Amino acid sequence: MSEPILSTHRLTNWFGKVCTAEDLDLAFRPGELTSIIGPNGAGKSTLINLLTGHLPVQSGRIVFRGVEVTRLPIHARVRLGICRSFQVVNVFPQLSALDNVLIPALAAAGRTRRFLAPVSRERAARAEAEAVLASVGLSERRDTRAAALSHGDRHLLEVGVALAARPALLFLDEPTAGMNPVERARLLESVRGLAREGRTTFVVVEHDMDVVFSLSARVVVLNRGEVLCDGTPDVVRNDRKVREVYLGDEVIDLMPVAEGARP
Amino acid sequence: MQSLVHVVLAGLSSGMFIWLVASGLTLIFGVLGVLNFAHGSFYMLGAYVCFSVARLLGPHFWLAVLVGPLVVAAIGYAMEHRFLRRVYQLALPYQLLLTFAFVLIFDNLVKLIWGAGSISPPPGFSGSILVLGRKFPLYSLFIIAVGPLVALGLWTLLDLTWVGRTVRAAASDREMASALGVRVPALFSRVFAFGAWLGALGGALAVPYVGLLTPGMGESIIIEAFMVAVIGGLGSLKGAFLAALVIGILSAFGTRYFPAFDMALAFVLMAAVLLWRPRGLFGAAA
Amino acid sequence: MTRALRLAAPLLVLAALCAVPLAGERFLTYLAIRVMILGVFASGYNLLLGQTGLLSFGHGAFYAAGAYGLGLFSLHVSAHPLLGLAVAVAAAALLALFVGFLCVRSSEVYFSMLTLAFGMLAFAVIWNAREVTGGDDGLVGVVRGKLSLLGLALPLGKESQLYYFVLALFALAVWVAHRIRSSPFGLVLAGMRENAVRAAFAGVPVRRYRLAVFVVSAAFAGLAGGLEVLLEGSARPFMSHWTHSAEPILVSLLGGLGSLAGPLAGSLLFVALREIVQRFTEHWMLAFGVILLLIIGLAREGVVGTLEQLLARRGAPEA
Repeated sequence: MSEPILSTHRLTNWFGKVCTAEDLDLAFRPGELTSIIGPNGAGKSTLINLLTGHLPVQSGRIVFRGVEVTRLPIHARVRLGICRSFQVVNVFPQLSALDNVLIPALAAAGRTRRFLAPVSRERAARAEAEAVLASVGLSERRDTRAAALSHGDRHLLEVGVALAARPALLFLDEPTAGMNPVERARLLESVRGLAREGRTTFVVVEHDMDVVFSLSARVVVLNRGEVLCDGTPDVVRNDRKVREVYLGDEVIDLMPVAEGARP
Repeated sequence: MQSLVHVVLAGLSSGMFIWLVASGLTLIFGVLGVLNFAHGSFYMLGAYVCFSVARLLGPHFWLAVLVGPLVVAAIGYAMEHRFLRRVYQLALPYQLLLTFAFVLIFDNLVKLIWGAGSISPPPGFSGSILVLGRKFPLYSLFIIAVGPLVALGLWTLLDLTWVGRTVRAAASDREMASALGVRVPALFSRVFAFGAWLGALGGALAVPYVGLLTPGMGESIIIEAFMVAVIGGLGSLKGAFLAALVIGILSAFGTRYFPAFDMALAFVLMAAVLLWRPRGLFGAAA
Repeated sequence: MTRALRLAAPLLVLAALCAVPLAGERFLTYLAIRVMILGVFASGYNLLLGQTGLLSFGHGAFYAAGAYGLGLFSLHVSAHPLLGLAVAVAAAALLALFVGFLCVRSSEVYFSMLTLAFGMLAFAVIWNAREVTGGDDGLVGVVRGKLSLLGLALPLGKESQLYYFVLALFALAVWVAHRIRSSPFGLVLAGMRENAVRAAFAGVPVRRYRLAVFVVSAAFAGLAGGLEVLLEGSARPFMSHWTHSAEPILVSLLGGLGSLAGPLAGSLLFVALREIVQRFTEHWMLAFGVILLLIIGLAREGVVGTLEQLLARRGAPEA
């Protein structure tokens, strides 16, 4: 097995008296597309927050490409190659779509310190930003302010901003929420394409089971801060514990039900 | 030893004035989410109005202390109702600047009405008591008692009464409280007026203590009140009370022993506290 | 606005500014210098407020650092104006490095309060350190030395002579502010204003950049403070008072936070309004409070911002 791109060691987080991450030992392999699923409150967002630096680690370690990143601030982790998108659209509202993706592109190219030359001269970064916009289908909206974009377009921009940082490891937090089927298909195609290129390792948090099972090579099921099951989509689909936990959740309708599984 | 005790007592009494202003400031910030620059002006208005009322209604100081702050509370109510309400949804700079505009207006109105010079109210409270062999003004002791009384009153009001519970609900979740039937805008106006009343009470009570009314008295107390509110944690009354005590005593020591740098001590304390606890001692987490 | 207009406008303004002393009115020249000094202060300040979204209430301290820096240098070392200004800028920037380091760790209200407290602390220190700063009498007797440049010794004694010196520095300062605003760094600052968390997730070291723009804006303030001392011959503690710190805020708001021209237009309006109102009443600040209320209530985008909005609406009626 190749070296994991990111691994956690006994990662633990408590929110008051609630344990949102319990002794997590996870590893993500480079180039692999992993989905993380689980009921609400399972700790999916907490996990992303911990891994990307949004939440300080209370106990445990995180190692990225052999480097200890447990205490690194957010921007340092991004510079190393760990990035994320947000479940609730979190972009730069008054800036144009192009400027929104240009900022991470400039940062990735190390050009943010330039303060006397016009940004219009940054050809490489601009080309990169245009490419990202094209990949999420927002090229025509490049000059529209983010706040003026339609709901679905804003979600596409949200993922675009994360992509523009050229991360080696990208966490997408429910990226297709709020998208219509056309936008969803477009986004998934982009993600699949990028995953195939092999430069970016994707970890996707999702509720939509179609997305999960069609997209991922590996599915991790979280519940109450613990890993309930970790394997290929087929393994997860037939795991009894997983079915128990999802009982009563609408997700159950999309999974093949074994005899006698329903009360 | 004697001077030490006297300095501490002096610090406690001056700290109580800061507490009165800071309590109103903290209440307003905690409930409305607005940092009211004009709170020092309420303090100043409280003093000036009290002085004028006392002159009008005969030399009954206690009557003036009762009426004066009520007048200022009415002014505060109007200010929130007519102006402040419009900027809640705007970004922070606009809110601060609106209250700052009122500082300019109030401070200069005072200069216009009462003159730009200082006024010396007639001395009324000359009683003193012996503390460790040296005389200490009775009025100051009275002030030292008023502070905790107000703190107790606020705590009772907010924690034990139905009104208080409504206020706390609206503070933590405006929309939810509104959905539950609380008329939030009216509540906000009342809380603001009450906060103004507290500040004005401080000013009214300060008249015999300070012995001098100047149009600049709002400015000096607001900085101290801000520092106290920040150190205690914006929105925490408990924090503000504690911080006021500490700042009051620190300032007293500063005035007595390092007269050039008494403000520096308070600032250093604030910087140190914020470095250790970025939200103040008892401030809410991010 | 068409591209041609955009390029021509600054040149026209520059030409107009060059023509002011030719009118021969000493008081007008004096006022114009004051407008330019305030313009330098506000342009730099707007990099912090309008561009990055940080509201500092203590920038008067850096203005004062520049003023007293130049004043003390001039009185004790050399009256060369450029050297003095270099000292002014350096003093302000150094002070801002120290203060900013403590302040940028906090956000929003806490940041504003810390800067406010620091500004008043500086005020108290200047007031109390009589032997060095002259206390509330201020630092007086600062002369305008000759400008020794490239072998020439240009006198600055007359208002009109000082005017062109200030104009040159004003143009330079505004040009620098413009370049910063349109640079990658400037775009990143705007991102930090719009969404600091996302900026961090885009790989931007937010705290470090905040400190950088804080120091740069302080440098502008220091330059302005130094220029005022060259003009007036004295430095006063009031420069560090919070009501003076409020001036660039008011000016930027008056003109419009979102543009380079905003603070400049605001400076012109502010000085003009003050002169007019002071003819009628000594309670200029009262009038200003009312004006501020009106702006916040009715024309939040400021003069330039509102104009831009009107022009945009006219240009694209189908939008």
